[in-house]
Amino acid sequence: MTTPALQGIGLSRHYGGFAALRNVDIAVPAGEIRGLIGPNGAGKSTLIDVLSGRAGKWSGQVLMAGTDVSRHSPQMRRRHGMARSFQRTSIFPNLAVREQLELAAHHGGGVDEVLEQLKLDGLGTGPASELSYGDQRRLDLALALIGRPRVLLLDEPAAGLTVQESLDLARLLRDLVKSWGVTVLLVEHDMEVVFSICDRITVLHLGERLMEGTPDEVRRSPEVVTAYLGRSAH
Amino acid sequence: MSVQAATSLPAPAARPAAIAFGIALAAAVVGIVLPLLVASPVTLSLATQGLTNAILATSVGFLIRQSGFVSFGHATFFGMGAYVTGLLLKHTGLALEAILPLAIALPAALAFVVGLVVVRVSGVAFSMLTLAVAQVFYEIVVKWRDFAGGDDGLSVTLPPRVFGLPTTLFQEPGDMFRIVWVTLVVILFLLFLLARSRFGRLCFAIKDNEERARFIGYRTLMPRALVFAISAAIGSIGGVLFVLYNGFVSPDVLHWTMSGSALVMAIIGGAEFLIGPAIGAVVFLAAKDKLGDITEHWQAIIGFTLILVTVRWPHGLVGTIWHWIRRRGRGGRA
Amino acid sequence: MTIHILNGFVYGGLLYILSVGLVLIFGLRRVVNFAHGGLFMVGAYVGYAVALHAGFFTGLAAAIAVLAAIGILLDIGVFRPLQRHDPLLTVLVTFGILLILEDLVRSIWGKDYVTVSVPALLSGNVEFLGLQYPVYRLMVIALALVTMAGLTLWLKRSAIGLHVRASSVDAVTTAMQGVNTDRVSATVVGIGAALAGMSGVVAGPLLTLSPSMGSYILVDCFIVVVVGGLGSFTGAFLAAMAIGQIHNFGIVYLPWAASSIPFLIMIGVLIWRPQGLAGGAST
Repeated sequence: MTTPALQGIGLSRHYGGFAALRNVDIAVPAGEIRGLIGPNGAGKSTLIDVLSGRAGKWSGQVLMAGTDVSRHSPQMRRRHGMARSFQRTSIFPNLAVREQLELAAHHGGGVDEVLEQLKLDGLGTGPASELSYGDQRRLDLALALIGRPRVLLLDEPAAGLTVQESLDLARLLRDLVKSWGVTVLLVEHDMEVVFSICDRITVLHLGERLMEGTPDEVRRSPEVVTAYLGRSAH
Repeated sequence: MSVQAATSLPAPAARPAAIAFGIALAAAVVGIVLPLLVASPVTLSLATQGLTNAILATSVGFLIRQSGFVSFGHATFFGMGAYVTGLLLKHTGLALEAILPLAIALPAALAFVVGLVVVRVSGVAFSMLTLAVAQVFYEIVVKWRDFAGGDDGLSVTLPPRVFGLPTTLFQEPGDMFRIVWVTLVVILFLLFLLARSRFGRLCFAIKDNEERARFIGYRTLMPRALVFAISAAIGSIGGVLFVLYNGFVSPDVLHWTMSGSALVMAIIGGAEFLIGPAIGAVVFLAAKDKLGDITEHWQAIIGFTLILVTVRWPHGLVGTIWHWIRRRGRGGRA
Repeated sequence: MTIHILNGFVYGGLLYILSVGLVLIFGLRRVVNFAHGGLFMVGAYVGYAVALHAGFFTGLAAAIAVLAAIGILLDIGVFRPLQRHDPLLTVLVTFGILLILEDLVRSIWGKDYVTVSVPALLSGNVEFLGLQYPVYRLMVIALALVTMAGLTLWLKRSAIGLHVRASSVDAVTTAMQGVNTDRVSATVVGIGAALAGMSGVVAGPLLTLSPSMGSYILVDCFIVVVVGGLGSFTGAFLAAMAIGQIHNFGIVYLPWAASSIPFLIMIGVLIWRPQGLAGGAST
């Protein structure tokens, strides 16, 4: 068994008396696209926050390829090869697209490549706040992709995108895994996207890990159906 | 198309710097010639005082522009520049050549250390804290009668020469006008380069979205403390020139109304623009001179102007003109 | 020793009454009122002027009424129109108001120091904790405690209070729940300003009056609010009492450093907990 690219051990986070995350273990092998699903309030975003270093008080351990990064700040984790996108679009509204990507690339290149991959080329030199919502979502993703991170945490990247845009996004993610072997942890509400591109899926429910398996196993699991799919399926 | 864009990229990046250098050079020349055209030493003297204030306003505006933080206590750094120069001249045997860099480095170092703490709080809390820092510093100087002269202030006797030049230059309105003017131009040019540098871009990014800046791998505390320190250094340069010119400094320059006026100058001129605060300072002091009769109520006038400008013309004088020109330009093309 | 502690509580009590008004306004409007020190100063002068003709307590009542009215005007004229803008804009405007108020008071009453005597009813000393202590000072401590109790009750029981508490924890959600902030805020800013006026009058016999008294105490007030955690009522009380003690011990034992010690403590607290002692509301 090889060391997972991303691993969380016994992750917990409490808000006052409420446990948003309770003793969750997760291990994602290199080059895998892992889906993270669960009903609202299951702790998906909290888990992404804990893994990426955004959460305030939490307990447990976060490892990247065996190295303990639990005490690393977000910027140190980024330098270690971990990048993330945000559920609520987080970009630099007053910088131009290229300007902010060049900043995010640090001294490495690859700006043109990412601009092309995410169809962000030709958006001009105006401030990013003037872009359309879809463009801003892709810019948020581009800020995470630039610099070829080894681990990518994506918090609902397809939120608010059209069907076609979501499908493009799914294809892009698969290409990235093939071309540079990135490891992806993906929170997504669009089940079509999740089931079509994820190698395995982790299901969270009320802050705990309910199950983990291939898309088929998850789809067939009676627990998952009652906790989640049963209520949200039409 | 994209090839063309890629190859032509470096050129526009280099050209504005060259243009700015040309403008700076021209401005410096104008400043050097100007005293020849102004006969009245009183006017020159007023203008020289005004320019030291313009340097302070520039430092306040730079902080707002580059980091979004509004300082209500920048007189501290102006006053520190002046007091460190005066106190070291009076109480130590240090050469003025050594004192001048110290008088800029010490306030900058203090700002850096304080900055590491205060930039962690929100913008509004930052403003509150800078006011508190300034007040504390003011009271220390007022109470420190034996050492700093207390309310009576501090007279400064300059050695006859510094860097091989006679120090009488500093107290002759025409010459000092040139020195302060050129210093201001150099500061503005350096700040222009800073804003265009990678560090400047990073500071804009942090101002825009601090959290995102951390998640693309940047430390955000250090750059903000550094901007605060640079801003303090500029303010202290104003203070150093002030004390060299006047040969005297009193706690008045540390008072919070001094910080307040500097802020008002920056806002009136337009803090979003590099040159705005300096223009604001000139307009502000010219108005103060013209309104001489009612300066008894100067403080209320400042307050009223501050309210009026923040609410009606939030981009300030330079910003309002700039937006007006841009709108006309756009209208013409469309 | 006991006397110094009591004096610390007197100054702490004053600071609390003043600061809690700032906290109230911040809790609801998310802005820091830089004119708050000015309101304190205007309160002191109004109280003084009325007291000359009609006695201390009429002066107190008049100052509270005048300041409540100023507070309501402040909300309608400044906070409300600017609520959708950057909070720093409001800060600049309130700073402008502070400058105008100082100038106004200076032109009416002059810039010389004015002293106010203790009202006859509360003059003299009383035996307390084994020492002779001025009645007036004890009353100031009592007033701070009553203010705290009253505010706590009001915040817990009344509809407006509930709204203020909810809003100071999470302004966005509270606004989304459809409570009319505008209607509530005139009341709240009015109360905050009235408290500033009240503390100004009460401070009269303890401090000397001058147009700059407001900007001096504003600094301690800011320290209290930041140390307590922006928007926290309990934090403001604890911090005010602590700063009162520190301020007083500083004056007694380290007079040359008295004004910088609270500041250094604040820096210490911020290094330890950037969100303040009882903070969580600040961002």
